[in-house]
Amino acid sequence: MLSATDSAELDGLLKKCVIRGRVMTAPAQLAGYDADGLGYKTFRPDAVVIPADVEEMAGLLRSARQLGVPLCLRGAGTSLSGGPVAAQGGVIVHTSALRAIRNICREGLWCEVECGVTLNQLDEALKSQGVFYPPDPSSGPVCTLGGNVATNAGGAHCFRYGVTSNYVLGVEVILLDGSLHQFGGPAGGRGPWREDWKRFMIGSEGTLGAFTRFWLRVLPRPEKIWTFRATFPDLITSEKAIHDLVGHSSFPVAIELMDPRCVAMVENSPMAVGLPKESFMLLTEIEGPAALVDARVETVAQILRRAGSEDVVYSDQEEQRKKLWKARKAAGGLMGQLSADFVVQDAVIPKRALAEILQLVYDEADAAGLRVVNVFHAGDGNLHPNFLFDSRIPGELEKIEHIGKRLMQRVVDVGGTLSGEHGIGNDKAAYMPMVFDPEMIRMQLAIPAVFNPQHQLNPLKVFSERRFTR
Amino acid sequence: MNSELFETGTEKPVVAQSMGIGSEAGCLGHSPAKIPTQIPDPTEQPANESRLFERFIDPIDGVMCLSADATAADIAAIAEPHKLRYPLILDPNASLVQQVEATGFAPASSRFGPYCDNILGMNWKRPDGRILRIGERVVKTTTGYDLFRFLLHSGNRFGRPLDYVLRLRPVCDCSQICRLQGTADDVRTAVPLLLQSSWMHWFDSIDFLSESGQSFLRIAVHCPATEWPLFEQYLSSFAAQQTLRLDILQEASPPFDGCPDLTLKTTPDRVVDLAEKLGKHGGVLCVGLCHNGVVHVYIQEGAGRVALIEALVRQTTPELHTLGGDWNSRHLRPFPLSPIEAEWTAILAKEATFQ
Repeated sequence: MLSATDSAELDGLLKKCVIRGRVMTAPAQLAGYDADGLGYKTFRPDAVVIPADVEEMAGLLRSARQLGVPLCLRGAGTSLSGGPVAAQGGVIVHTSALRAIRNICREGLWCEVECGVTLNQLDEALKSQGVFYPPDPSSGPVCTLGGNVATNAGGAHCFRYGVTSNYVLGVEVILLDGSLHQFGGPAGGRGPWREDWKRFMIGSEGTLGAFTRFWLRVLPRPEKIWTFRATFPDLITSEKAIHDLVGHSSFPVAIELMDPRCVAMVENSPMAVGLPKESFMLLTEIEGPAALVDARVETVAQILRRAGSEDVVYSDQEEQRKKLWKARKAAGGLMGQLSADFVVQDAVIPKRALAEILQLVYDEADAAGLRVVNVFHAGDGNLHPNFLFDSRIPGELEKIEHIGKRLMQRVVDVGGTLSGEHGIGNDKAAYMPMVFDPEMIRMQLAIPAVFNPQHQLNPLKVFSERRFTR
Repeated sequence: MNSELFETGTEKPVVAQSMGIGSEAGCLGHSPAKIPTQIPDPTEQPANESRLFERFIDPIDGVMCLSADATAADIAAIAEPHKLRYPLILDPNASLVQQVEATGFAPASSRFGPYCDNILGMNWKRPDGRILRIGERVVKTTTGYDLFRFLLHSGNRFGRPLDYVLRLRPVCDCSQICRLQGTADDVRTAVPLLLQSSWMHWFDSIDFLSESGQSFLRIAVHCPATEWPLFEQYLSSFAAQQTLRLDILQEASPPFDGCPDLTLKTTPDRVVDLAEKLGKHGGVLCVGLCHNGVVHVYIQEGAGRVALIEALVRQTTPELHTLGGDWNSRHLRPFPLSPIEAEWTAILAKEATFQ
């Protein structure tokens, strides 16, 4: 934290830059920005500002050197990796004022949106045009597109459609000198640049510049959707179903799995849906033209039955489909209710390693006396073990960190990677040397060296070497 | 810009070494099958050998790693026994790296996306000879900055790929090429209707071909034989509604148009206009990849080819740049850098040893 004198000076400087927007320095105002979805790691910012528009945001960044403190861009703060938090103090720059949907071009299959637009706000606007934006992280009702692009967010339907980077055609960004640049645009190319700089911006977790708007690719809405829910007695039969679905020409759009510990958590709660508590639950969906997907329904049901499920339920009716998704959707909220803290990992593994890595998760959690539930994107091999703990109990945090380290090392050893859709933030920055050797870390750090060499933007994120020094 | 454009000389396609697969693969819990590696060039210095991609195929994940100089036949020899295919092939005789350098897209990008979404990682040789792993072998990652996509289409200005990790797709037993022909207006009207249809996701490609003022639509379908009648029914009905004639080439190969001489990237709704306009030039064939907003331009070989490409680039660049589009030609040098981009590139090259 800054001294009272420095704090007053910072407040004065910020109020010179942000006139139409808001500057907040009262402790009660700052408290809401202490953490993101990784709630147990808190960092109190010295100030929070909400620039009113792009001009004010550019002015703020232009004054960065004078401000002399870290600046951290933040959308809705739903990130799960400790990304949009003031890990080294400084100013949180909240982008909530930039929330206009500027253009939807149905014929060109693109839209233009400001960074503070929420995913659901965009979906509502696109619905009437008969198109949709596929990435669908579970925080959709509140998360912003700025945060989605910063973390290269995914979601349940990424198995078929891919993640955010597959849909970003262009990015407008303010760099630390206050200059505004457009990389790409509706056509999704490089624009007048020789190199494709937008590639660095997507997934950069607020460490290179401040996003202001995006051009995003949209797709025609599917005519019809079938949702399937099946339970399996064990992992071997669940795995067979996953592998058979992945390799099948019916091309499911989502393949999600909940382990028995997660199923039991849901079934022991008021959100129970009547699943066998010892079972693995698999959800899958097919979508497309009605004639085509209707013809595929029995094939998909057969794949699930042949793999070993005696309980396959499916529907194309909106209400029924919602019920089939209910247990999956309820799981996230329940973890927050059942435990003081939880941390969700985001590793992606080759699918053949699923049994080994799940066993490691169970063994490590059981040995540490911690609860763990797994609900994840099985089609992509994107695991989300949720470790439930209480950071107020001495030693629990250390146990979580120890498990995280061992798990991630094994994930990398089997050919996987640390994060599939949540980003690295400060939560996984310490694990980066498992993936990148010193030479590769040097190459990675060459990118912020171009745009943010002093690491004033979002320091201590992505790589722990990224510390701001005046 | 004109003075900076000149032919760099095109190499003939490199015939890759045949790479047989060593052992059976793909059983639950077994290791992925390794593909014999080529003898490394003694001047190549792996930075961290343990992290480099080995050549392999993993049928469960549908990924394989092989030489960037491999051709379609090399890929098929390894992937097809596992009922997998790599659909983004433009030219069966060209190496993968030649195709990637020529364009970011192939006709099947309509269904599966550009090369950068269907190549997951690579072993990359920097100009100083160091070999590094860039990217992953899993289909999703947000681990660090996306050097992979930046380098993949960087025209080998920062090094070159040695091996690619490819994302494969299931093989189906029915491949058809459907040709929709009619008056120019009817063909033009049909394109947006197809692109906004829910069927759009299920065609391997929706291409608009234009040459010497003639144009038609080409739709590639790759599906289970049991589903073909549904596709045929939809396309027949669509053709009738749009007063187009439907011709079907049964059991056809995918469209292999070859590596384009010029690639233009625009928005999907401008592809037809652009392809028609350029296709009016004599000796020019344009293939518009409608969903991707890409026009591949093929120009008859001859003394005037480079001059014509330069003229087409000059003609189209202002609008493309306004839309955030771009152009790429294997026959021309890239345009000069602006001062700010030159500064960024110099810092990147110095810090990452890309020089």
